[in-house]
Amino acid sequence: MNTGGLILIIGSLLAAASAFIWLVFRLEGAGGKGKKNRQDEIINAAEEDVAHIFNDDFREELRNRGRLHFEKIIGENATFLQQDLRQTTTQLNEYMRSEITKTLQQEFKKYEQSIGDAKQVALQSIQKTVDTIEHQRELLEQQLQVQSKVQQERIIARFEAEMASIVNHYVIKAIGNQIDVSDQLDFIIGELENNRAAIVEDIKNGTS
Amino acid sequence: MEPLKLTPAVVSQTDVNRLIRELTGLNDFFVGARTRAAGSAMQLPKLSRLMDQLSRENGVNLLEDEARRKLMAQLELVYKSAPSFHISFAVEPSPKSLERIVLWMRQNIHPQTLLSVGLQPAIAAGCVLRTTNKVFDMSLRNHLKTQTKYLAQLIKGVPEQPVAEGAPGGR
Repeated sequence: MNTGGLILIIGSLLAAASAFIWLVFRLEGAGGKGKKNRQDEIINAAEEDVAHIFNDDFREELRNRGRLHFEKIIGENATFLQQDLRQTTTQLNEYMRSEITKTLQQEFKKYEQSIGDAKQVALQSIQKTVDTIEHQRELLEQQLQVQSKVQQERIIARFEAEMASIVNHYVIKAIGNQIDVSDQLDFIIGELENNRAAIVEDIKNGTS
Repeated sequence: MEPLKLTPAVVSQTDVNRLIRELTGLNDFFVGARTRAAGSAMQLPKLSRLMDQLSRENGVNLLEDEARRKLMAQLELVYKSAPSFHISFAVEPSPKSLERIVLWMRQNIHPQTLLSVGLQPAIAAGCVLRTTNKVFDMSLRNHLKTQTKYLAQLIKGVPEQPVAEGAPGGR
């Protein structure tokens, strides 16, 4: 039984009650005092009939029907509500998921962007550092080469300047006292011969 | 007065001084011989090889007073005025080598040249002659110094002509 049926039953009951009441008033209008009694009797009869019609069983039945109908409506509404709730929950979940996904994607994108930027900055910094180090290395290399060349030239110059002493020292170490003056006489006489003029000049001019 | 002819064995002023002392001793002997008692024993002085050579070279009769006096004067003159050089060698020269050098100097520099000999092991070879005013470095050390450039080129492997031999070593 749906709502329409229930309304129809209640409507018919109300119509019957109205017709009965109208009949009572009609009868009352026809008689005087007796009318009054009759009216009372009718009223009592109507009350009895009403009590007879709307007895406990009928009321219980009506109550049961109403309860059942109400339960049915409640059940249907609960089902609808459940379905709506499920649908809403599903939609909410999807919405939440999509929102969260969207937010996460945005955040990830931002994060990725930040990481990318940071990476770029780090790469630039590293590149700068590498460039600086390379520059320093080249500078150092040049300085080292210059220093090395200077040192090398200094060593060579010193070696060349001291070469006579080195060879002389070597000769002394190698032959030492083994060369007798008699072996050197030709050399000595030759040297004296070369310096003869200067020696003679020195004797002439010098004070002895 | 004729200049004294020095023998090659007389090398240094020390030798001349020694000869002067010997000649003085000889004079003293002869003075003593005159004043000695007749018949007393006397010890004849022994002449050194240097004095013997010198007197023979110059034809001096050492028994004559005048000759000895003249020789003495000549020796003193040599001691005072003869040019004296200092010559250094790396090793001790033998007397023969020294005589040859002295002979060359007396023939080419001055007939009465005297030499004092020293040692300089650092010169390796050759000699260093020092006069009153100059030093003539005729050593191998100096020779190498003048050839430093040539030595450097030898080491580099591109030798040029060495510096001409016999460049004056005086300074």
